[in-house]
Amino acid sequence: MLKNYLKVAVRYLLRYKTYTAINILGLAVGITCCLLIMLFVRSEFSYDQFHNKVNRIYRVSQHEKYEGQDFVNTVTPLSMASVIQQAYPEVESSCRVFAFNRLVKVGNNSFNEDIRMVDSTFFRVFDFKLLQGDKENPFPNASSVILTNEIAKKYFGNNADVIGKQLLIEVGDEKILFTVSGIAEPNPEESSIRYKLLIPYANAKYMFGPNAFTSWFNVQSETYLVLKEKTNMAALEAKFPAMIKTQLGEDYKEGAFNLRLQPLTAIHLDTSLPAGNEPISNPKYSYILSTIGILLLLVACINFITLSVGRSSSRAMEVGVRKVMGAERRQLIRQFWGEAFLLTLFSVVIGIVLAFVFLKPFNNLTDRNLSIQFDFGLIFFCTGLMATIAIIAGIYPAVILSGFKPIEVLKGKLKMKGNNWLRQSLVVGQFVASIAMIVCTIVISQQMKFLQNKDLGYTKKQVIVVPTNKSRKEGLSLAQLYQTELLKHPEVADVAISLYSFNENAWIEMGITDDKKVYHSFQFNAVMPEFIKTMGIKLKEGRSLDATNQADLTQSALVNEAFVNEFGLKNPVGKKLPGKFDQQIVGVVKDFNYQSLHTKVRPLMMVVMPDSAFRRSENISYDFPPQPRISVRMKTANAVANLAVLEKAWKTVVPNQDFDYKFLDESIAAQYKSEQRTNAIVKIASILSIFIACMGLFGLATLAVVRRTKEIGVRKVLGAGVGSIVGLLSKGFVKMVAMAAIIAFPLAWWFMNDWLKDFAYKVNISWWVFALSGIAALLVALFTVSLQAIKAALTNPVKSLRTE
Amino acid sequence: MVGGKPNFILKDVNATVNEGEFLSIMGPSGSGKSTLLNVIGMLDEFNEGEYRFFHEEVHRMKEKQRSNLYKQYIGFVFQAYHLIDELTVYENIETPLIYQDVKSSERKAMVADILDRFNIVGKKDLFPTQLSGGQQQLVGIARALIARPKLILADEPTGNLNSKQGEEIMNLFKQLNEEGVTIIQVTHSEKNAGYGKRIIHLLDGRIEKEE
Repeated sequence: MLKNYLKVAVRYLLRYKTYTAINILGLAVGITCCLLIMLFVRSEFSYDQFHNKVNRIYRVSQHEKYEGQDFVNTVTPLSMASVIQQAYPEVESSCRVFAFNRLVKVGNNSFNEDIRMVDSTFFRVFDFKLLQGDKENPFPNASSVILTNEIAKKYFGNNADVIGKQLLIEVGDEKILFTVSGIAEPNPEESSIRYKLLIPYANAKYMFGPNAFTSWFNVQSETYLVLKEKTNMAALEAKFPAMIKTQLGEDYKEGAFNLRLQPLTAIHLDTSLPAGNEPISNPKYSYILSTIGILLLLVACINFITLSVGRSSSRAMEVGVRKVMGAERRQLIRQFWGEAFLLTLFSVVIGIVLAFVFLKPFNNLTDRNLSIQFDFGLIFFCTGLMATIAIIAGIYPAVILSGFKPIEVLKGKLKMKGNNWLRQSLVVGQFVASIAMIVCTIVISQQMKFLQNKDLGYTKKQVIVVPTNKSRKEGLSLAQLYQTELLKHPEVADVAISLYSFNENAWIEMGITDDKKVYHSFQFNAVMPEFIKTMGIKLKEGRSLDATNQADLTQSALVNEAFVNEFGLKNPVGKKLPGKFDQQIVGVVKDFNYQSLHTKVRPLMMVVMPDSAFRRSENISYDFPPQPRISVRMKTANAVANLAVLEKAWKTVVPNQDFDYKFLDESIAAQYKSEQRTNAIVKIASILSIFIACMGLFGLATLAVVRRTKEIGVRKVLGAGVGSIVGLLSKGFVKMVAMAAIIAFPLAWWFMNDWLKDFAYKVNISWWVFALSGIAALLVALFTVSLQAIKAALTNPVKSLRTE
Repeated sequence: MVGGKPNFILKDVNATVNEGEFLSIMGPSGSGKSTLLNVIGMLDEFNEGEYRFFHEEVHRMKEKQRSNLYKQYIGFVFQAYHLIDELTVYENIETPLIYQDVKSSERKAMVADILDRFNIVGKKDLFPTQLSGGQQQLVGIARALIARPKLILADEPTGNLNSKQGEEIMNLFKQLNEEGVTIIQVTHSEKNAGYGKRIIHLLDGRIEKEE
């Protein structure tokens, strides 16, 4: 019996090649997308699951209320781990992880590296693999370092025995010789804790002032706690306020300072808390992708159903004959579902092959390193997908066709009413998805273009930023040497030194209470006077900083318009800065977007020497280390030649340190990386969606033409022209697309409105975007249908009538 | 129902067909001959009256029982052949056996027998569209006979054939009847009706006369 079904199925598929190709290809594309998206989503939702104690590990977050504002941090004071562990027996162990970026010197080579300073419990709390070294005591002394095998290879080559080798790391202001005491496997891809070099926490004394070791208002390091089995996290959290009260002493204010515990596994996708050492991910992205994957698959499944409906009259005959020959309904149901299953099986196989082919581009698109492994999860997913598609796709033939009364079919009495309604609404559904995606594609591209072309208030053209990667004082003298050297080169137009440049998406966050006792937060940067001119920042009133004016180095400040508004200053030029600051405002610059266009321009203050401001600010925090940066404006856009000049000059000044650089326009573009990705993904999805939908439309048009061959013949004999026949055949389809457009527009508008909320600066969604999308879909649909319609209209009517 | 009055397709039809008979049903278009055939074949239902098949009361049977009865005893031959285009001659003939759960080896033997008998062994791997009308109807009859039914119901079996092909088919029916198969055929043609041992004339759903 099965063999018979299979035979019929395969012959059916072979006989209607177009139909089969449309179904298999459409489904395969849908499956490929689903598979790749599944890999991504699975990776996103499986972060940090590999630790044995995963359900007992929590990260401490600190919640402060200050002057009515909330400050939330996932990095916490240095002393917190030991205080908590001593206070609560339910805490089994703890581990602090501090991230910093420093120069590592190996022999004569210097590398700028991401380093983690951790407690010696690191390999016991977390399940990272130590290839060589002692898990219990990974750092025999304070100057031990553990490298990943990748880093060991980079420093010492392939075959070297690395244990015992030495390297120099700048820790704080000290240069300390570290000895390799272990080799670790790199962290898994799905890990919220990442590392390349690990050093013990004993080195903290070189990095932080004495205050940092006791103060609970000084946040530095991530703190992880392992709770004992069966400890209730909420109950433990509830005990914290009492401890905080004793810790803070007279600084304690009811409810103003709180600690919470965040499960390790929640870190990666929890956007309600700020990122700690590592960037986190917005689950929205996974949801968007999943929606797109499911939509594409649905559009492909709909093809299957509509084409089955379209072919049901010819299939019905077979049902009738089989029933007369003794087939029972359940046997026919089995047969039709078997066919759907067979087709789906082909599609899944092709889909998997395509997934392998497109894995690399997909990895580039999502900036991940995903791989396809036939593990239980994937096989389960594929089987589930296959069963679901087969059930959805086969539902019409299996349930409706098998129910036909043989006598009605065989006598040709069967009227295919109702099916039209079903088929039309399915096609409309396909085009709703396609048109909505087209609208989204256009709006997102517009916004991306807007981001690229918006006048930021400074000139980003032909600027290369070179970081010194050194602490403030050391970096400044290096920067000045480099500046002098660079200015000797005719290719260089201008050089400016600043603590931060435009590569950093946030400068220093400061806060001060003004004379009216209101607390304001704002951004801060230390710039050499030439920075304003070099970067093309425009002055609104007053004057710029002047390098020849000694007082400007310490006594003067520039602020932006937002700063003036924030503090409500009138005629600010010549006035003293608000609050405890002692500098005088010498000029106001026009607002410029030193942060990405997601945020409105924040109040900003700029001075030359920041020491006094640092001392007087009531709050200081930063995401990027304050290390002087050199912004170089070149005369031409020749990247290769320019870099050669910059590197040569660098090697003259600091021969042993890596030359590090970034093109300013590239790093600004990188701020919108996730939007660029969404842009690319939605674009691809909308093309695929309209493609699959049109394949289905093509199939339907083919069927319509076959069904109406006789009618067309008669009409032609009666004198109908090609145009009127094509019109006749296309009218119904055009109506469906138009209806789909009407449904799609508000949906797309709602989605895009929501998406644009992430930006402080954005385009308006204009009416022509909708018009364009609708017309585009209509044209594509019309073109597809007319491929068949024109052929039918040109056929000699004698031929089509004779066959009857 | 038209105008509130019941509209009978068949009315007061009272007939007995004995085993081994060859009955022709004649009548103008719309006289209800096909409906009568379908009722006999259990493909169509009726609202009133009784139908006994081998002393079993068909009108009291459930769908399932009727279907079993029908599978076991009745074979159908159509004017338009109604072969399945995706199946070869061999497979078309084999299909009813599959639905009756006959074992594969047995099926093979039975199909081979009938192919041999109808002289279409050479055509067994062809598809219906590759055959002439007469050959297709031959396959249709072979398919109707394969499960060894007691009763063959033929609805204008020669309607789509030329006179020579039609004659061959009618001779085949005659021969089958002589071997003991009961045959009921619906036909327009006096000549074909003449092959039957008895003729019923239908008019407006009633038996007009019997010969």
